[in-house]
Amino acid sequence: MENSIQGEQIIQDLLPRKFKTGGKVWIGVLTAICLVGAYAYYRQLRYGLIVTNMRDYVSWGIYISNFVFFVAISLVGSLITAVFRLLGVKWGTPLTRIAEMIAVGAIMFASIIIIVDMGSPERFYNLFLYGRIQSPIIWDVIVITTYFFISLLLLYYPLLPDIKILLRFKEKYSPRLYKFYRWLGAFWKGDHKQYLLSKKAINALCIAIIPVAFTIHTVTSWLFATTYRPGWDSTNFGAYFIAGAFLVGAGGVVVAMYIFRTWYRMDKYITPEHFDKMGRVLVLLSLLYLYFNINEFLTPFFKMKESEASYLNDLFTGSFAPMFWFAILTGIILPVIILLFKQGRRPLPMFIVGIMVVVGAWFKRYLIVTPTLLHPFMPMHDVPSAYRHYFPSWEEWAIAMASLAGTMLVITLLCRIFPIIPIQETIDHNHETVK
Amino acid sequence: METENNSRRDFLLAGLAAAGLVAGCSPKKSPFEEAAAAEGAKPSGKTVKLLSVDGEVVEVDEAFLKPVPHMPPVSNEEARVGIPGKKFVMVIDLSRCKNLKKCQEACNHAHELNPGHNWIKVDPMQGAEHTAPYWEPTTCMHCDEPPCVKVCPVDATFKRQDGIVLIDSDRCIGCRFCMAACPYSTRVFNWGEPDIPAEIKSQPYSAETSIPQKKGTVGKCDFCADMTRMGMLPHCVSACPNGTFFFGDMNEDSVTNGAETFRFSELIRDKAGYRLMEDLGTKPSVYYLPPANRNFPFESGLENDKTQNS
Amino acid sequence: MKQLNKTITGLVSFVLIISGYNGFSQSAQKASVNIAINYFNANNSIPHLVVNAKTRVNGRFQPVGGIAVKLLLDKDSAGTTIGKVVTNEKGEAASFIPPSVKQEWASSKTHTFLAVFDGNNKFEATKADLTIAPARMLISTNDKSITATVLQLKDTSWVPVKGVDLKIGVRRLGGDLPVNETPTFTTDSTGQASADFKRDSIPGDSKGNIVLVAKVEDNDQFGNLSVEKTVPWGGKFKYVSTFDRRTLFGTRDKAPIWLIFMSGGVILAVWITLILLVRNIFAIKKIGREAR
Repeated sequence: MENSIQGEQIIQDLLPRKFKTGGKVWIGVLTAICLVGAYAYYRQLRYGLIVTNMRDYVSWGIYISNFVFFVAISLVGSLITAVFRLLGVKWGTPLTRIAEMIAVGAIMFASIIIIVDMGSPERFYNLFLYGRIQSPIIWDVIVITTYFFISLLLLYYPLLPDIKILLRFKEKYSPRLYKFYRWLGAFWKGDHKQYLLSKKAINALCIAIIPVAFTIHTVTSWLFATTYRPGWDSTNFGAYFIAGAFLVGAGGVVVAMYIFRTWYRMDKYITPEHFDKMGRVLVLLSLLYLYFNINEFLTPFFKMKESEASYLNDLFTGSFAPMFWFAILTGIILPVIILLFKQGRRPLPMFIVGIMVVVGAWFKRYLIVTPTLLHPFMPMHDVPSAYRHYFPSWEEWAIAMASLAGTMLVITLLCRIFPIIPIQETIDHNHETVK
Repeated sequence: METENNSRRDFLLAGLAAAGLVAGCSPKKSPFEEAAAAEGAKPSGKTVKLLSVDGEVVEVDEAFLKPVPHMPPVSNEEARVGIPGKKFVMVIDLSRCKNLKKCQEACNHAHELNPGHNWIKVDPMQGAEHTAPYWEPTTCMHCDEPPCVKVCPVDATFKRQDGIVLIDSDRCIGCRFCMAACPYSTRVFNWGEPDIPAEIKSQPYSAETSIPQKKGTVGKCDFCADMTRMGMLPHCVSACPNGTFFFGDMNEDSVTNGAETFRFSELIRDKAGYRLMEDLGTKPSVYYLPPANRNFPFESGLENDKTQNS
Repeated sequence: MKQLNKTITGLVSFVLIISGYNGFSQSAQKASVNIAINYFNANNSIPHLVVNAKTRVNGRFQPVGGIAVKLLLDKDSAGTTIGKVVTNEKGEAASFIPPSVKQEWASSKTHTFLAVFDGNNKFEATKADLTIAPARMLISTNDKSITATVLQLKDTSWVPVKGVDLKIGVRRLGGDLPVNETPTFTTDSTGQASADFKRDSIPGDSKGNIVLVAKVEDNDQFGNLSVEKTVPWGGKFKYVSTFDRRTLFGTRDKAPIWLIFMSGGVILAVWITLILLVRNIFAIKKIGREAR
């Protein structure tokens, strides 16, 4: 009896809630940023990529940095849900839904930003009409589609029991939302057979998503590593990207955890213990990423090959040095130091560290794309002077910011519609601990 | 330059006129007529009367009379396959370049390129502090294992059987992966709407002429595939007053700059020709002759460099 | 005083405007065109003329296209008109010699071609001429040695010409490859010049045929003459196409087999699993409906 009362309490706590003023302002701000981005994109469509500051040498700019960033952050879905589940990490349960939402939002905007980067987006269909399997871009198209689909399934399957709970509170939703819930999951009766099928499916998904997740990020790294350019021509790139992706994804989850915990007052469900454990995970991932960074930079630095020397010098001591060391320090080293202390793994410091990791990671992606392009093999000589350096134009910033805002908008809307924390699983989990 | 154009015209006329004459006198087929037919000329059946050098009146088929055969633009399928039996090759003699950029000028003019969109670049090169500086013109290397073609997701850029790498601007999606993949930085992008006359812009795109360039697509040196199809030299080759560029067919083992013609294998052997970035394994079709025994001091090109790259 | 100032200013500006206007009208002066005629005769058949029109713009010669040039033989009278040609964008125009000038052609052993441009709104009228003695060339071969002969029409017979510079080469793309190290040969008193063929194993066609060319270029007396002969002295060229190989840089239908199998296998394995998982949803749905 007590259990069911507790259960009702959990349900009341975790049901999706209507936006209050703060939420509405948040949505408004994000929408405004998206609209500015949309206007910038309209200009880009009309005048061409000339509105950006990309030119023949820096032919990929912050759009591609953003793309890599999104792909990286989307990897967290597979980390929290699949890796934790397969490793039997029980405390991760409340975080799975957040992770999947971030993954879906990020992967959506990864594919959008790559279309934005195209010079002739109206010919997007050529990828399907004339796709060449030899091209890493086609591999990326295939694997992103696959990963998006798996992420959706992995969001959907565990939702089914929760939808049954949601459907009990018809009066709380607008008729349309209620209809949507019915369409999504009215067939879920909580039948044992259904439960078994669903459990099997989730296990299969958790196994399937790991190689696909590794592939998506490895293939993204191959977009760079299959070229000859100094800084990209590296066999380390796949592993380096995956390590970085796990780190930024985990950082993103920590930030989301803190925001949901304070905003929705979910202290009971997202506890300091969760932060503590995520902190340990972050330390591990930071060290892993640090290892790959050393691997990536120390050996070429040691050799200082002619073709790579100016690139490396530019990163370590030249014009990119402030950004490079900022990204390494705030994105990797400081988090390790802060999180080694128990005090550092409390919610608020964790939140700050999470932001540091995410911001550092974004600059790291910028540093992966741009400096290499500014150090081609041939001299940048017989070209207009504007071609020899790069700083994004306002249109690029607006579009890049809009894609970030868009991701957050998708995540926000998803958590308006669906419970941020899996209700049924939390009840079951609670059951077990009480027993 | 002049002689080059004219000698070419000679050739066709020689073949064509002879074919016409023979056709008029006897039913025997001359080898020239075959050559003429191979060049794309077909007898029209209409003949005209002309005066021969002997003062005789002869009848010649009209189709063989054009000084330069008018070639209808080839179809996209043909442009993608290229000319069988040919393997085009370029040799750039670095000892002759003094950064005049006539090549670039002619190229930009011929392909309706906007300023700054140079397909040919001339860079001052210096390997190390104590090595000699020299001017190095670069075109597309038309690699035999082209990294740009490897990465193209939609077959918009392709390698032909005659060795030329071309771009189909009606297919290109503008992802710029090829630009990142090209170690020679030879590809340029049409970031905005190209500023070209309306009557050229409205033409259907031809991969062999690379005209008209289109917004949001990649462009690059095309070895003037339309010219080579007609047996003529690329514009940069004819434009260089110093004869820096040589062009030819590797299968004929010969390269020419219009005025001088060399046996390719001998030229490369005697002058120690090399290709750029051989270590990358791209196998370029453009060879360089080292800047030894120069015709001009390096400094003579500096003045031109200042005015053009300010 | 102020009033005067105004008047003066007005006057000055008026004068300036007028003078400016004058300057403008003066700058609309016509440019001059340089016209050059070249005479060509290949394989002793029908001769033709090429007209080149150029103008000097900022110290550089630029081709003049779209101007009409009248070509005449020897003089401007009845029966001497060769034709009227219009230059193309390269400033070039070509014409053959029509039968209508047959009589005039037979009347003399040297001829002067006249080019007359009447001028238009941009360019001034101009004229050019070129005097040519019709000549023929012969080419003969003997055991890897080539002999070229230059003959000129004297009275009624063709006689050899001494001291003409000529080139002997192998026809190649865009130019002729000299048959040996000597760039030019000069005809002797028999009108002949001989060259040894030293381009062994130069690739010919599939049967080893190559085209030899003997040519006189830009000769003051004879213009441009050439003659050619096909000989089986070249290396047999066998074309081996690697175009249809399956490579990473091939077209989409020429992808390497291993790549197709690997990617296809991975894609199939993953997507079959995913389709099964979607079917699983419908299975769950069915159970739900039955449970109702």
